Amino acid sequence: MTAPLMSPTTGEPVAVVARRNRLGLVFLVVADFSGTMALIISYVYLWSLNVNNGWAPNQQTFGNNDLLKSRSPLPWAADWPFWAILGLTVVATIVLWLGIRTLRSGHRGGLVGAAAVSTIVVVAALVLQWWQITTFPFGPGNGSYASAVFLLTASVFAHLLLAAFLLLAITNRTRAGLVSSDNPFQAKLVGYWMVWVCASIVLGCLCTTFLKASPNTTPANFGEFSLYNPNAPAPSASPSPSQ
Amino acid sequence: MSTPSASTATIHQVEVPQPKQHGKPGGIMRHLNFFTGLIGGVVLALVFGFLMNIQFPSGALTANFANAAAGPTFWAMMVGWVIGFMGGMGAFTGPIRWLFGRDLTHADAEFMAGKDQGKFRYWRFTTDHKVVGIQYLIVAMIILGFGGLLAMLIRTELGFTWMEVFNPDFYNSLVGTHGIAMVIAMIVVVSGPVGNFIVPLMCGARDMAFPRLNALSIWLLVCAVPPLILSLLVGGIRDGWSVYQPLNSQAGPGMIGYQTTIIVFAVSTALASVNIMTTILTMRAKGMTWARTPILIYGSFAAAAMGLYAFPFYMYSQILSMTDRLINTSFFNPIEGGSVWLYENLFWLLGHPEVYVILIPSMAVMMELIPVFMRKPLFSYYMAIAGIVGVVGLSGLVWAHHMYMTGWAPQANYPFMLSTEMISIPVGFLVLVVIGTMWRGTFWSRLPMMAVFAVIFNKMIGGVTGVYLSDVPADQYFHGNMFVTAHFHYMLMGAGLFGAMGAVAYYFPKMTGRYLDERTGSIGFWTAFAGFQITFMSMFVAGLQGQPRRVLQFDNMFNISNWISTIGAYIIGIGMLIFLSAIISSWRSGQVAPSNPWHAQTLDWQTATPVPLENFPVLPVVTKLPYDYGVPDPLAPQTLEKQYDEKVGAPT
Repeated sequence: MTAPLMSPTTGEPVAVVARRNRLGLVFLVVADFSGTMALIISYVYLWSLNVNNGWAPNQQTFGNNDLLKSRSPLPWAADWPFWAILGLTVVATIVLWLGIRTLRSGHRGGLVGAAAVSTIVVVAALVLQWWQITTFPFGPGNGSYASAVFLLTASVFAHLLLAAFLLLAITNRTRAGLVSSDNPFQAKLVGYWMVWVCASIVLGCLCTTFLKASPNTTPANFGEFSLYNPNAPAPSASPSPSQ
Repeated sequence: MSTPSASTATIHQVEVPQPKQHGKPGGIMRHLNFFTGLIGGVVLALVFGFLMNIQFPSGALTANFANAAAGPTFWAMMVGWVIGFMGGMGAFTGPIRWLFGRDLTHADAEFMAGKDQGKFRYWRFTTDHKVVGIQYLIVAMIILGFGGLLAMLIRTELGFTWMEVFNPDFYNSLVGTHGIAMVIAMIVVVSGPVGNFIVPLMCGARDMAFPRLNALSIWLLVCAVPPLILSLLVGGIRDGWSVYQPLNSQAGPGMIGYQTTIIVFAVSTALASVNIMTTILTMRAKGMTWARTPILIYGSFAAAAMGLYAFPFYMYSQILSMTDRLINTSFFNPIEGGSVWLYENLFWLLGHPEVYVILIPSMAVMMELIPVFMRKPLFSYYMAIAGIVGVVGLSGLVWAHHMYMTGWAPQANYPFMLSTEMISIPVGFLVLVVIGTMWRGTFWSRLPMMAVFAVIFNKMIGGVTGVYLSDVPADQYFHGNMFVTAHFHYMLMGAGLFGAMGAVAYYFPKMTGRYLDERTGSIGFWTAFAGFQITFMSMFVAGLQGQPRRVLQFDNMFNISNWISTIGAYIIGIGMLIFLSAIISSWRSGQVAPSNPWHAQTLDWQTATPVPLENFPVLPVVTKLPYDYGVPDPLAPQTLEKQYDEKVGAPT
């Protein structure tokens, strides 16, 4: 029976460290899940309310007194980039896990290649995400749908950026022999992270694809800030006697 | 110990192969500390601010509201501060080393843990949980001092009814900044020092599960404080600690300081929660089954769990507010389809669990203290666990009781009233455990035990008045007046802060190796307690009379209660200063304490004082609950060497 591989830092068996790290990652994902849910809840909440009929993307025009004159509708975001980014991320995740599988049979080179390919695919997803954010047919202020979509995609961008860093590190570390068949746990942790990134992107895709037009076609008018109240009488040039 | 030329290191009598040592142990971390962090933060803040000014000289990146035009520059400075400070502290060194495959050697890890660095290790990115615990205590005390000073200024304004001491804008800033500073301080004052210093010891572990994450969480907390203080200089936080929309978006750039603080603090808290929970789940000593785990560990786990799921909502409420301000998104702007109720929901999804994040560790410390100072077993250990689990379970279902009067979903008021009143059941369990343990007991009259009595008294008043506020009809009258203010001070300060003072007195010998000066400490404690009753009982009266919150000018009918409150607040201030002087003088030259001065049974008291770098020479094995004070050998520790291996198995 061979002696267990020990952590050079703490002197514990690597399996013990791996178990601890795995649990830590689960808790980090729980926290990140809460954050993602905050965005999803925001999206669904505003979609269901359609406050002041302002959910759908629109261009507003204001008059001389900053009063809303008109809204002209803008197109929704195209669906395919959301799903394309998801597809690329899923591919990167599968490739990484295939690499981890080859590691079990002792082929370190397999994981090096897989992690490198995954990194490239995730970078491609990042580029696509950047392109999507910069070419939306609306700005972040053109309605609450536009705002929610901007933040969802920004969140995906941040997740992918972290994924790219982790995958690059796994490529390097496997090449250096720090990730091996005896010690594969760091690659697995990154694999779990990639699975969570896919899941979080799916949540966003489902929202942006299936929850577009608000079901609330007769939204209540919740009032507006006085600065933008279209029903308020235009201020008169001189104060009235009662003032 | 490894050297640059050695290929193995002896760790706990085992030869472990080491990666190549690059240079001296610690590498670049030898040169990084708080001062390099400070320089890095200030320089990068100025650079980022300057660049943003060049990019948007006329405020082209405008906000929804005209007075926020200076926001982008201040925002860039805050981002620069955070990156620069954390970079200067060495927070990014670990990930970069990991990226390039330069793993830490054991010697590196020992350097990072502060070995042989004397007091300077408190100024570094030190990973030792005991150092981090003391850093948490000191940072919490500094924030408490800052928040307390603002409280004095608020009470000065309200007590000097014949003159206006501050202008209304600055007064509102004082109230908002005081509120959030105190909430942050109260969240960390027990769970920080206890969770980091005591919990690993109590678990029988050598350190926290993720030592570098531990250092990261404390230095993120430090990093979060300056933006809050700076915000006072650029318009402040004039809308209370909750900064409801649309006031949040309409406020000046000071709000960006608040938002930066909250975002950084939420990340810090989430990381700390991950660390504490993983430590408890994976590093408890052999034999420490769930039925033998001290109640403080349950309390710390519960607080961490609530923080883990709740803080991200708070963080995102501020991120969305920030984007509303800076890039014109419209999450909370109704003309563009936003809703201010979205903010309130996101905010209170944290806002209420946060109360229990503060209270549960404080209550758990009390439940540790009572058996020790009364030499009695903890009454109904399982009821205590049920109480904690019940509070965690219900804490996420009560948030909307803060929104009864906002008009959001009136039909939901009664379910939330029910859930809020239901949470008094598990809280009642905890109170019953405390009272049941004390029943017909005699007690060892020391300062920590005095804190127990103070906390019970305050918590009863805070709890009973909370029942009125959970009730929709009564809340219609009370929600916006000083009654609410008095209520939550009884909960957060009366139970939380006085509990923290008890915890400090109890754990002081383990943390510093010296007793807290009992006489001076007690004088400070009871002075603060008396001042507290004067201040907030009188505030209840003002609230019942109808004095509104957050208003600096009021009718003369409220004068007397406000004068009394202000006198009480000054007395609290004096008491706190006396208590602080006891801490400082005892730390410097107090009576030296033995390793287990209270004859407690938990593992934290079974190791030497000062606690060695890796806590235990040999990891302990647990054989029983630590509350068996009624058995023939009441002083027996939770771990008995002679019973190793015979009676116990691994934790389940």
